[in-house]
Amino acid sequence: MTANNTVNISFTVNGEKFDNVNVPSRQHLADYLRSQGFTGTHLGCEQGACGACTIEMDGKAVRSCLVLASQANGSNLKTVEGFDDEIMEQVKQSFLKHNAFQCGFCSPGMLMTTKEILSNKKKLTRDEIRSEISGNYCRCTGYQSIVDAIEECINEIN
Amino acid sequence: MKAADFSYHEATNIQDAINIKAKDEEAVILAGGQSLLPALNMRLSSPSCLIDISKISGLDDINIEGDCLFIGALATHSHVMNNELVFKQMPCLIDILKMVAHPAIRNKGTHGGSIAYGDPAAELPALAVATNAEIIVSGQNGDRSIRAKDFYLGLFETAINQDEIVIGIKYPLLKKGQTILFDEVCRRHGDYAMAGLIASVIVSNDKVNDLNLVFFATGDKPDIAPQTAKLFLETGYDYTKLKKSLSSEIDFAGDLNSSSEMKLHLATVLIKNVLKKLEA
Repeated sequence: MTANNTVNISFTVNGEKFDNVNVPSRQHLADYLRSQGFTGTHLGCEQGACGACTIEMDGKAVRSCLVLASQANGSNLKTVEGFDDEIMEQVKQSFLKHNAFQCGFCSPGMLMTTKEILSNKKKLTRDEIRSEISGNYCRCTGYQSIVDAIEECINEIN
Repeated sequence: MKAADFSYHEATNIQDAINIKAKDEEAVILAGGQSLLPALNMRLSSPSCLIDISKISGLDDINIEGDCLFIGALATHSHVMNNELVFKQMPCLIDILKMVAHPAIRNKGTHGGSIAYGDPAAELPALAVATNAEIIVSGQNGDRSIRAKDFYLGLFETAINQDEIVIGIKYPLLKKGQTILFDEVCRRHGDYAMAGLIASVIVSNDKVNDLNLVFFATGDKPDIAPQTAKLFLETGYDYTKLKKSLSSEIDFAGDLNSSSEMKLHLATVLIKNVLKKLEA
């Protein structure tokens, strides 16, 4: 077995600079973020199916288990810990009000996806909302309450 | 669920990527990584080196080249879906991409990546074959173009040489009366299809004159069914006859979700469902 390959990279997470850090080239971004204390990024399947590890990379929602840490070189990343603006505060309140959190495992991914839905500034039907969150698994809510919360966010924020 | 060790190289330009790939037969190109990373995480694949081409500039252009719509290899699915030229010239591509995984994956997954990976259950290789697209590759001896039907050789096997990289896809602009129709059957939204069909149809004087049927998720590569298309033009939709024809023309391969017999049934019914869209 050869020694682990590493890559030297720089990027920001929630505005915090990470300069010249060494990461194993085989490590995916979700594992790296969690190792640095950003444990709001959850890991479910590590094959892109469950959506729990969804984060924002340069303004777009991505699966952090399907991005290598080394690919984040030069990127601006945002995790659920970085949700501090007014809109996201409102989204959290909507989720609370409609009981869209429950066990909380899928919530960081659901919130990230909601953020992307809101950034598109489109009115969506309930079916379209379901299609937008189709890549995020939730095993508690049956999705009804999550769709309620997102629908309210779209109506109030956009 | 963690990838085995590999070295990682961020390519600065195409030549750089070609040079590394030419030297190391175990090196693999990383573009969006949305099919490659799951395979690495599950250790279905363990390359020696990943050559990351995603930061090479100028490889994500979408434009009209002569009588073709050119899509650069690094254009992400989201980018293609929101592109005005695609909307005008090939609106079917937008509907097809809506069926490819989920928004967060489409933000990263690339057009060229899906074409080059050659997953038999993926939509884009079948679309490329159905529309007679050309796949442009770049290598040590310069660029060459390969017809999509000659590009797919077998299961995840393509005509790309070791030193070559896909740089773009050229779709011929639709002819007068030509429509691309599409449907697939899958268990969950965004999943790979159990069977799918892309049909290129030319209608003149209210009659279907030309029909090209290309199935996906049925065998080891996009499956063309010229005999069955001819039979349909002659006799219309007849389940028993078309099913018999398909079974002689395509080597249906069952998987975890559906047996080969089930795929044959779905493929036959898809012909009806897809061509019904002509009436709409």
